[in-house]
Amino acid sequence: MEQKLRTIFAESLEIPEERVKDELEYNTLPEWDSISHMSLIAAIEDSFDIMLDTEDVIDMSSFGKAKEIVAKYGA
Amino acid sequence: MMYFWNNGHPGNHAAFIEEEETILFSELDRDVKACMEKLHSETKELLFLLCKNTYSTICLYLAALRGGKTVCLLPASLDPGLLAHLIESYQPEWLAVSDLNAGGELFGYETFQHFRSHTLFQRRKVGEHPPIHPELALLLSTSGTTGSPKMVRLSYDNLQANASSIVEYLKLNGDHRPITTLPMSYSYGLSVINSHLLAGACTILTEESIVSRTFWDQFNTNRAASIAGVPYTYQMLRRLKFAEMDLPSLKQMTQAGGRLPADLQRYFGEVCSVRGIEFYVMYGQTEATARMSYLPPEKMLTKPGSIGIVIPNGNLRVDEQEELIYAGPNVMLGYAESRGDLKRGDEQQSVLRTGDLAEFDEDGYCFIKGRLKRFVKPFGLRINLDDIESYLEKKFAGRFFCVGNDTKIVILCESEPLLEVARLDTLQRYGLHHSTIKAIRIDDVPILNSGKTDYSVLQRKAGIE
Repeated sequence: MEQKLRTIFAESLEIPEERVKDELEYNTLPEWDSISHMSLIAAIEDSFDIMLDTEDVIDMSSFGKAKEIVAKYGA
Repeated sequence: MMYFWNNGHPGNHAAFIEEEETILFSELDRDVKACMEKLHSETKELLFLLCKNTYSTICLYLAALRGGKTVCLLPASLDPGLLAHLIESYQPEWLAVSDLNAGGELFGYETFQHFRSHTLFQRRKVGEHPPIHPELALLLSTSGTTGSPKMVRLSYDNLQANASSIVEYLKLNGDHRPITTLPMSYSYGLSVINSHLLAGACTILTEESIVSRTFWDQFNTNRAASIAGVPYTYQMLRRLKFAEMDLPSLKQMTQAGGRLPADLQRYFGEVCSVRGIEFYVMYGQTEATARMSYLPPEKMLTKPGSIGIVIPNGNLRVDEQEELIYAGPNVMLGYAESRGDLKRGDEQQSVLRTGDLAEFDEDGYCFIKGRLKRFVKPFGLRINLDDIESYLEKKFAGRFFCVGNDTKIVILCESEPLLEVARLDTLQRYGLHHSTIKAIRIDDVPILNSGKTDYSVLQRKAGIE
């Protein structure tokens, strides 16, 4: 799951996979703004076939957080 | 007349909230006066103000208006190269950078002093310029962040007139409480600030986006009552499952900055009518300071797709070519391309050709049919690209974008399965040769800072021009 999520992050934010670490945080890099956040959410929902709740969408503020959230959905 | 930048509200009422701090109208007045002293000059001068949704920006903006400066609002995120180009074109005497750490020398300017979170720079060598027109209050860019030197020239009366019309049709009073969701350098975002200042309401200032937890914490802690958004904002809100969010303080939502797709209009129309939230679809342009028309909330579901009726004190009509013409006290003085243009006075006589094609229904509600210049003529056939988009959206329940020239039309869509059906349908509808229309898939829709679709990027992707 982690590798799949990393690939999604790299593709949605258009950054190399090496840069996708747990500490990667929303709004700390120009590539991860509100617009790419929404395409990231869409990609995660499509790839894992899940529907994220509002709370999860606004809490997904780092790659580490994203792992926890996606795991919660049993994906 | 009580201009909104002059303090006229009870001093003990809240004017702004920024993070933990509540700023009263009396404190705002004090801070604006302090700021005016820092910006004092004998003649009318130009200030470039780099904006964030911060109290610091508000004070500088109001001090410029009250002190008779001409102020040009620019996004703080503007690329330094583009900023340098604008400085070259307009030679402002003052530059306010929203960064306290800036200092020393910048573009030939010297650090003057600090004001809250801004650093003020003053030009070392003031050039010889013709006097700025006394009526000129504000310069706003129409292109967002592309750095084009083309600016809209707005007068003090333009600002006041539009704010006053907005207060009237949105029925704003001191109890309203918006939270910022748009940049202040964008006419629509600025109109939210102006109209609520005039109404004596308190505005919550934040730089956070609606996809962040901090935004919603601030929203709930401060009991925000209204949100302003462009279509993209509403698309994000739906994605956040707006219908399931618990937002008891929310009373009013406004939308402008482009056509709200029909499915979004239905979604928000339904949710808001159930929850007792007023949803206003509006229409405007920077050339009209901000707004020209609004759709009353109770008409949202019965007049879908309409931009509504004209704002108080304005007039809307269509000419023989069906172009929408607006007249009103909020119509700009004219455009500017460089410093030399700032001496010019009113060149519009309160009349604005919107460049939009429109029609009115039997009840007087206005519908935009497309852009005048979004017409293409393959084989001499006059086709409106906006018309293709809205037709396909209705028919195939997807988002479509259309670009083209007089030899070909390209339909762009995020959904692979819809490409060929949309292409064939459009070919058939206009009776065109199959080589005239191409359909290509796009991964995402390029968005301008204003939230509007960036058609120049789509054109490049489609290989047009």
